[in-house]
Amino acid sequence: MTRKIAALALGLTLVLAACGGAGEDDDGGGGSAGAPGNTAGFDGKTIKLGVLTPLSGTVAVIGQPLTAGNEVWFEALNAKGGVAGKYKVELVQEDTQYKTDIAVQKYNKIKSDVVAFTQVLGTAPTLAVLPQLKTDKILAAPASLDALWVREENLLPVGGPYQVQAINAMEYHFTDGGGTTSDRICTMIQDDVYGEAGQQGIDFAAEKYGFTVTNTQKFKVGTENYAGQIGALAGAGCQVVFLVATPSDAAKIWGTAAQARFAPQWFGQSPSYTGALAKSAVAPYMQQSVLIVSEGTEWGDNSVPGMTQMVADATQYASDQEPDYYFAFGYNQARAMTAVLEKAVELGDLSREGILRASNELDTVTFDGLTGDYRYGATEDRNPPRSSTVFKVDPSKPFGLAKVKYNFSSDAAKEFEFKKADL
Amino acid sequence: MTTFLTNVFAGLALGSTYALVALGFVVIYKSTGVINFAQGGLLALGAYLGYTFADNLAIAFAVSILLACAAAAIVGASVERLVLRRMVGQPPFAVIMITIGLLFVIEPLITAIWGFDNLPLANPWNIQTVEVGGLVLGVRDLWTIGITAAVVVAFFLFFRYTRMGLAMRATAFDPEAALAQGISARRVYATSWAIAAALAALAGITLAAGPGGLSPSISFIALAAFPAMILGGLDSPAGAVLGGVIIGLAEALTRGYQDQLFSWAGANVSLIVPYLLMIVILLIRPYGLLGTKDVRRI
Amino acid sequence: MSGARGTNRAQGKPHRNLVRSYEQDLRLFGSPMSKVGLGLMLATLLVLPTVVRDDFWLSVLIYSGITAIGAIGLNLLTGYCGQISLGHAFFIGAGAYAAAVVGGDLGLPLPVWLLASAAIGAVLGGLIGPFALRLRGHYLAIVTLGLIFIGEHLWRNLRDVTGGNNGTSVGAEATVGPVDLGALELAGENYSRNQGYFWLVWALVAIIALLAKNLVRTRPGRALRAVRDHDQAAEVIGVRAGRYKIGAFVVSSAIAAMAGALFGSYQQHVSPDDWTLLLSIQYIAIIIVGGLGTIFGAILGAIFVGALPALIDEYSSAIPGVATEAGGDGFISVFALNQAIFGLLIVLFLVFEPRGLAGIWFRVKAYFKAWPFSY
Repeated sequence: MTRKIAALALGLTLVLAACGGAGEDDDGGGGSAGAPGNTAGFDGKTIKLGVLTPLSGTVAVIGQPLTAGNEVWFEALNAKGGVAGKYKVELVQEDTQYKTDIAVQKYNKIKSDVVAFTQVLGTAPTLAVLPQLKTDKILAAPASLDALWVREENLLPVGGPYQVQAINAMEYHFTDGGGTTSDRICTMIQDDVYGEAGQQGIDFAAEKYGFTVTNTQKFKVGTENYAGQIGALAGAGCQVVFLVATPSDAAKIWGTAAQARFAPQWFGQSPSYTGALAKSAVAPYMQQSVLIVSEGTEWGDNSVPGMTQMVADATQYASDQEPDYYFAFGYNQARAMTAVLEKAVELGDLSREGILRASNELDTVTFDGLTGDYRYGATEDRNPPRSSTVFKVDPSKPFGLAKVKYNFSSDAAKEFEFKKADL
Repeated sequence: MTTFLTNVFAGLALGSTYALVALGFVVIYKSTGVINFAQGGLLALGAYLGYTFADNLAIAFAVSILLACAAAAIVGASVERLVLRRMVGQPPFAVIMITIGLLFVIEPLITAIWGFDNLPLANPWNIQTVEVGGLVLGVRDLWTIGITAAVVVAFFLFFRYTRMGLAMRATAFDPEAALAQGISARRVYATSWAIAAALAALAGITLAAGPGGLSPSISFIALAAFPAMILGGLDSPAGAVLGGVIIGLAEALTRGYQDQLFSWAGANVSLIVPYLLMIVILLIRPYGLLGTKDVRRI
Repeated sequence: MSGARGTNRAQGKPHRNLVRSYEQDLRLFGSPMSKVGLGLMLATLLVLPTVVRDDFWLSVLIYSGITAIGAIGLNLLTGYCGQISLGHAFFIGAGAYAAAVVGGDLGLPLPVWLLASAAIGAVLGGLIGPFALRLRGHYLAIVTLGLIFIGEHLWRNLRDVTGGNNGTSVGAEATVGPVDLGALELAGENYSRNQGYFWLVWALVAIIALLAKNLVRTRPGRALRAVRDHDQAAEVIGVRAGRYKIGAFVVSSAIAAMAGALFGSYQQHVSPDDWTLLLSIQYIAIIIVGGLGTIFGAILGAIFVGALPALIDEYSSAIPGVATEAGGDGFISVFALNQAIFGLLIVLFLVFEPRGLAGIWFRVKAYFKAWPFSY
């Protein structure tokens, strides 16, 4: 009860402060390099960060490991003392159920308890809270690789957007893969924003490399029968198929293709894959015909320092964590947010404006090889990583993936322009 | 021609699954007058139970199927006993909502027990294929069609020749007269829920035995089986099977010829074809293809 | 409202406020008590946002208010007219997109986009109703289920209007003339967007509830109930059942579209993922929990279903065996628990209190009305 009253009182003062106009909670203490003053979500010792993610419902299969990735990074950080060695980080998690209205409500619920949001999962929920983020001047890290986010001041994306992966996949095909532009190149995409992003990358590559997309098949998440799509791809004589899907659909798609004895060169966008696939009945087919285009390195690759550290952290703080793509994503995301917080502490201001300023003044953040370095800073100068890694399926590896070509960036991917979308 | 046959085969396999689920709907509707929206939940529950038997307890796949169906039947009968029996005599609307409420209870229970991850169900079919006259057929699909056919035949024999089947038909025809003849309506209700749940479990396991494995979203398939039930006629078991096959074929063929014939209608129009078909049929025959003609127009 | 005129004097004043004539039965707000209650409610609505300034609770209540509007519409169709529709979400979506076009792209003010979306809803309802309502009971429920899926296909493919999968931003501002409810300024005092929307939404709830109440207490309302109870019998006593069914469908769709327009305007961005079957089911749950066939119940239900998850969240740490964060200990996560409680609530209400929250309220009222005699 007292907590509620306290929250109410806090809310009240905040609204009053907001109503007051210009003189907002600037007690954060300007740009002097002293200790940052107390502010919403920071009590002088602990920094609170919000997480808006689906923890129930069908998308929880992504939300759960991603949030675990956030948790592990911050637990490891706290064990080392915390942000700038002295401020511990605490996560405030809320379940969005992957619904926009719930996301907006939960955003409002915790926005005055946190300094920023280290995870907002999903394109639609992110777009729903974005107008409020702008009004409230809060920074949030979206947990999806949409190109839309790159030029938004209130968002802090990590990783190369899906388009980059798609373009690099084509680069690989034309160089190491030995393909030519006269190959029949097709796409099979999920009918949503995620699928469209991959398609956009392939279309861009088609223009740059001078090939045409022979056939495009769309499907809806959770479809049971893919015979029609596979038949159409086989009928069009596709030699290369770029797949944008999530694992349970991807398994059915590759299973159907295997049954139909249709074996083109498949390239799978990173979220299409999960470790379980390498142990499934589809694995032999995948070993033969599927390459996964993703970022970073294989799970447990000790030649990459970031991976060694992540596996060590995961073992220590989440011992039952399976190797997981989304876990790594959450881990990276937390690292980017930490970089912002460190900067804000350095500038001596953990208030909302302080965090936005820190994000603006941030330079390149390196992820120790887990994903490409991201050049942050003012939105127009931001430059996401253009590198990708191509993997093949190898059941003997921990996550079932072995790297084929590590961390390369094609010229075409470097040329891809991220425009500010009209949101 | 091969493309056509492949699509027909895919449609038959899909239609078989729809038919099993729709048959479950009809069994419950016919004897108790309830449309069971929780059927998808029972389907998922059955499939997950199958996973526990086959993978965690390493029981032979065929035995696991039987055990899962039996377990689902017990769950179905208990749901009827504990919840639905209290609703006898309530308006249909209320009872529909009860079953929707049950669906909301079953789904989180499943994820609480088995988690959200995609689980591979140990089974002998997976992506094996056989070649018949130049046509490559999936073993799982063949089994699905075969099992469905066998179950449907068994169901009709049961309905036609056993005492319980007779009791069910009598209760569906006139509950009070049946009661007067000494038929226990309670047993009939519980049995129909048990049968429907077992059918759902069977559909769930055959679905999960494919390459896609098992995830909580498997319950969605039950929604797609609604048109099958309505198309055939709410109270006709034969109609449910016919409706299932028609819907499955329509969906697979629309999908197969999407590029050539249906590109104007937008991607994935095949997924709404079942509903469109259902609406068109209902406008012509408001009681479905084989349903009893009791819809009064005013 | 002037229904009580004369009768009391002619018959002598009873010591209790009993309904003794047809005119009294028709009163919107009969007893002095209910007038006081109404006044209190209006006062609460006016004052509440200035007391509860917490954005979380305000946004919960704003969404609840929007839902209440939609639920009043559905209750007219389902509660009063007895037609089960699972297609409510379709009309809500249509209303939101209409607001995006009329209020956003064309930049017209609040009254225009609100009425325009209502008109779109009514037209769609008028087009679909005659076909759908040829069917009864279960058939209608499942055909309207089809409407959801067909609608989703349209929303994903009519890119020019809906923005496709990406969704579209809704620029419909809550402006009436010079007044902008999104940034209200009254007597030198600034009010937040949430405060402004709270007043807007709940004022609309009040207006629509009043209009609906007015509708159901008069001839159309009685006709609807006659159709619900037995459509053939209704036809025999001279009610054109078909017309009333379609009428109810049109009105309910129009109200749903208005709720959708407000949803879009408040949230500023909508996508096809917002209008799923789940939304329709949630609306049905609301009118069941609130009470079928009562306007007041629809509002109670919307608040209850809207605020319940927030309350469970708040107190979940006190329940044993519940994990409150990803990967935390406990048999079931608070999030899954929330969903399960939602389902359980529907089941329990239907089994034990089929008249819903409004039923409980009426029972309490009846108890005090007859006190000290219980019956």
